[in-house]
Amino acid sequence: MTKDEIIDVIKVVIEDNLDDVNAGDIDPRKSMKDYGANSLDMIEVVSCSMRELNIKVPRAELAELQNIEALADKFLEYKNA
Amino acid sequence: MSGVIDLKVDGDGIAWVKMNDKKNKNIFTERFVKDFLNTMNELENLPEAPKVMVLQGLHDVFSAGADKETLIALTEGRIVVKDLVLSERLVNLEFPVIAAVEGHAMGGGLAMATCCDIVVAARESRYGAVFMSMGFTPGMGTTTLLSELVGPFAASEMMYTAKRYKGSELERMGTNINRIVTKMRVIPVARDIARQIAEKNPKSIQLLKYTLSIRKKKLLMDARLQEDMMHRISFGFPETRGHIDDLYAELEK
Repeated sequence: MTKDEIIDVIKVVIEDNLDDVNAGDIDPRKSMKDYGANSLDMIEVVSCSMRELNIKVPRAELAELQNIEALADKFLEYKNA
Repeated sequence: MSGVIDLKVDGDGIAWVKMNDKKNKNIFTERFVKDFLNTMNELENLPEAPKVMVLQGLHDVFSAGADKETLIALTEGRIVVKDLVLSERLVNLEFPVIAAVEGHAMGGGLAMATCCDIVVAARESRYGAVFMSMGFTPGMGTTTLLSELVGPFAASEMMYTAKRYKGSELERMGTNINRIVTKMRVIPVARDIARQIAEKNPKSIQLLKYTLSIRKKKLLMDARLQEDMMHRISFGFPETRGHIDDLYAELEK
């Protein structure tokens, strides 16, 4: 799976979980917070994306991620491991 | 008068009870439970009983449920489950209670809403029966009362998955929650319903409450028998402690 494909998965999950956000308008260099996500929204987007991608990333490794792109990089590591 | 729960009875006879522990997100600390029970006592001992009560939390969090220390103590068998007192107290009030759930409600926090008579929730906030994600079975009446609020099949989904559902998602699922509105509208909508109730004869309000609450009281008693037993077993599972640590680590990051 490529990084772009992973970003697309995350974008769709964000669209499902946040109000008034279109997947097509999401800039991966931004944080989910920029799209109005609260802390529980972010937890839900992460767990939902992991289910979608069929991976399990330990929570500790997700704590420091700053934007959507960084999340995709982390997912990619596990997806292609 | 008490610390983390604010009480105000307005001129219409509406009692506004605000769970206001900003620091701890209205988790059930010892102090929170004590203050809550004291506030309920205070309400019931007023010279003139309120006609209706509105239970509200913080703008962002209604209540995050049990506190971690209590859960850990339960896994170690040091204490027995006592959070049910909050549910019991709410269900046994002699006037109707409207839950104005602006913010997130998790676990026992959601259970508190299910103990009320009318529930107004927010599209933007999240609601979760999160017990199972910590390895133990649901409590505080959730196993019987949640299906009253959201319907039996949605309740099963919520309890088994432990997912934190967005208000707008619950709206699409078609639950029994009275109103799911934008967060800013939750208090005005609750106030409007409360005012309509407060116009009625208080003696008849109490009679109706008595009749309508019989079913809830019974459901809570049924829940208590099963939930206590399931807790004694599931808090004793060796994995449970780790699951509790994981979930709180996720929330605290």
